[in-house]
Amino acid sequence: MGTRPPLARAKQLRGVLGFVLLFAIWQGITSSGLVKPIALATPEAVFSVIVAGIADHSLLINTGVSLERLILSVIVAGLLGIALGVAVGLSRRFGSFVEPLAAFFNAISGIVWLPLAITWFGLTWKMLLFVIANSVFFIIFFNTLLGIRTVPRVYEQAVFTLGASRWRSILDVIVPGALPGIISGLRLGLGFGWRALIAAELVGATQGLGFMIYSAAQYLRTDVILAGIIVIGVIAFTLDALLLGPLERATVERWGVYQ
Amino acid sequence: MIGFARAVAPFAAFVTLWAIVVAVFHVPQDVMPSPNAVAVAFGDAIRKGVLTVYTGETIRRILLAASSGALIGVAAGFFVALNDVVADIALPVIRFFQSLSGIAWLPLFIVWFGFSDKTIVVAVWYTLFFPVLFNTVVGVKTVPRVYRNAILTLGGDWRRMVFDVLLPGAIPYIVGGIRIGAAFGWRVLIAAEIVIGAGGLGYFIFKAEAFHLTARIVAGMLTIGTLWYLTDFFVLRPLEEATIERWGLVHR
Amino acid sequence: MPSKITVENVSHEYFNPNTWQRVHALDGLSLEVADGEFLCIVGPSGCGKSTFLYLVAGLAHASSGRILVDGKQVERPGRDRGMVFQDFAILPWRTVERNIGHGLEIAGVARKERDTIVRRYIELMGLSGFENKYPYELSGGMRQRVAVARTLAADPQVVLMDEPFAALDAQTRNVMQEELVRIGMHERKTILFVTHSVDEAVILGDRVVVLTHRPGRVKASIPIEIPREQRRWDVLGAEEQFGRYRQDILRLIREEFDAQERVTA
Repeated sequence: MGTRPPLARAKQLRGVLGFVLLFAIWQGITSSGLVKPIALATPEAVFSVIVAGIADHSLLINTGVSLERLILSVIVAGLLGIALGVAVGLSRRFGSFVEPLAAFFNAISGIVWLPLAITWFGLTWKMLLFVIANSVFFIIFFNTLLGIRTVPRVYEQAVFTLGASRWRSILDVIVPGALPGIISGLRLGLGFGWRALIAAELVGATQGLGFMIYSAAQYLRTDVILAGIIVIGVIAFTLDALLLGPLERATVERWGVYQ
Repeated sequence: MIGFARAVAPFAAFVTLWAIVVAVFHVPQDVMPSPNAVAVAFGDAIRKGVLTVYTGETIRRILLAASSGALIGVAAGFFVALNDVVADIALPVIRFFQSLSGIAWLPLFIVWFGFSDKTIVVAVWYTLFFPVLFNTVVGVKTVPRVYRNAILTLGGDWRRMVFDVLLPGAIPYIVGGIRIGAAFGWRVLIAAEIVIGAGGLGYFIFKAEAFHLTARIVAGMLTIGTLWYLTDFFVLRPLEEATIERWGLVHR
Repeated sequence: MPSKITVENVSHEYFNPNTWQRVHALDGLSLEVADGEFLCIVGPSGCGKSTFLYLVAGLAHASSGRILVDGKQVERPGRDRGMVFQDFAILPWRTVERNIGHGLEIAGVARKERDTIVRRYIELMGLSGFENKYPYELSGGMRQRVAVARTLAADPQVVLMDEPFAALDAQTRNVMQEELVRIGMHERKTILFVTHSVDEAVILGDRVVVLTHRPGRVKASIPIEIPREQRRWDVLGAEEQFGRYRQDILRLIREEFDAQERVTA
């Protein structure tokens, strides 16, 4: 465990090749004159925007503000989501009451609360936090729930035949068994949260990446827009793929649950 | 009958609680309207035709984007999946675009298409296309080699391979992709309607905020939620259950 | 001497969500098991053997009839009736050591004493060197040893085994069977062992009970009069008696199998 077999290495290289090709296509489209320069900025222009944005910190500040909002929201929503998910997963009675409501509110989670949140909090960070935490909460809740429900019954039964009490089986079997689901939920929550964040910032913020690309649109600055999109995309990709990988490896894969 | 009552009970309880809280704490109508006020706003918006028109626009957009996005996504997915090397090259890029929400592309689409209906539909199409594409590729690749070999030793041609083996085998993933795509697509749709302002339910609730018609906002939110819930409940979830749970991946 | 386990006219029905049908698993099954007896239960597929075991374990409740262990009716699962499951069911997030010690942990046994007991079972089951491994690092045979060790370490009076060796390859299976015989001689426990394999039943059991086809009840009860020391595969091959028991039991099962075919035909 730890060394990468040759096939995986080949796959990685091919993946990188994919992005290289993407860039090549982009470069090709802009330099061939197929589209008006104002419609699509060249890779070079975008690159210089990124460099300038790092040099004068503007890009860094916007990115930092957005990430800050995300992390705060995920922490708040995560704690609530896991707590409620465990409660509902363990109690069928409580669950049959809460779950349909959660499913319905899930349908309106996130950006749909924007107008109401603006009514309550104005165009402030509180409004943004509410909208983002809203999206994140439900994902974490439902994944925690799923994690609890997919723990094979036989593990519980085995522990019962060892004399365990219900409480004991929850601690020893259900919670560790639900961990993959909880981690999934956190990972998805970050991804969902990031999407909700960008959407909310487009409309209701004066700082941050969403704000940056939206105001750039007013001036038809496709170079700034694309620079922002790239940063947003890289962060989104990282959140979806890499962030929780190591955490998963340390716990869940060590148990071979994902075999 | 009892089943129906039991299903409705949590909602009934919630609405009751809502009404009580608003009354007991004397919550101002423009902060949180009572259920009654919302119902009134509902009726008002329907009578004026506003709600129905906007709802129609929203539905049209999601149907258009969903049907074309899903079909093209599945077809493209099959093509990509057929060659292992091509799939390896394409998957990370596809995943990148799937992670990058359609909402982030709105400013660019605004530059291209302006604040129009087209901008909204393209953004939603994009949001639906990539998850379906990604999941189709993964799904096809996951079909065990033995099944493919089996069909070959039975003398099957590529048509048989696709329709008898790959498509059924990949269906759980495809359906999963459609479900994810639809969930994201729906949210992007509302968000785009809020940003672009070319009609639709998103615009409906956003405009209501500008006029401090909180009851109308809530009415709009409930409409959005109900539409999504119904779609998920009557279309998406049964579809997923028919395929995924049959494969024994979820124990209830 | 009073029986360790008394099964009185047990019938059991349940609803199978996969086939959307009511299954009448057992009908009027009555049985008595003596203290320290190694009882093997065989029968045609679907005859309710596993269901019966779950009822004794207390993981399910009989629709009618009752099961008494030490004169007390079985209500819920507990330490006194340990169970070894067909798919091992050892927790993937615990090491071998911690899995084996789980029952002791639950009973609140002190750390030092627990370690001693766990060490004893690790040696007994041939798991030395694997104490800190996780289940996924072990072969099927080793995992099953952990499962058996776990159940035995918790010191139950009754050990229920649900086709525990079914998922193992032939060689490992034979080795495990001989080990179980050895352990059976060593530890005085009442064992109920369900299996598909008649050979296995004959090599292991003091007595073999054959169940009818579904709904199951006791068709025959055959004491195996081969001394324990001779229950080894290399010896038994030559044993005439073994062959005869085998024939008789196979015939009984085959009768039930044919009868079942006629019923469903």
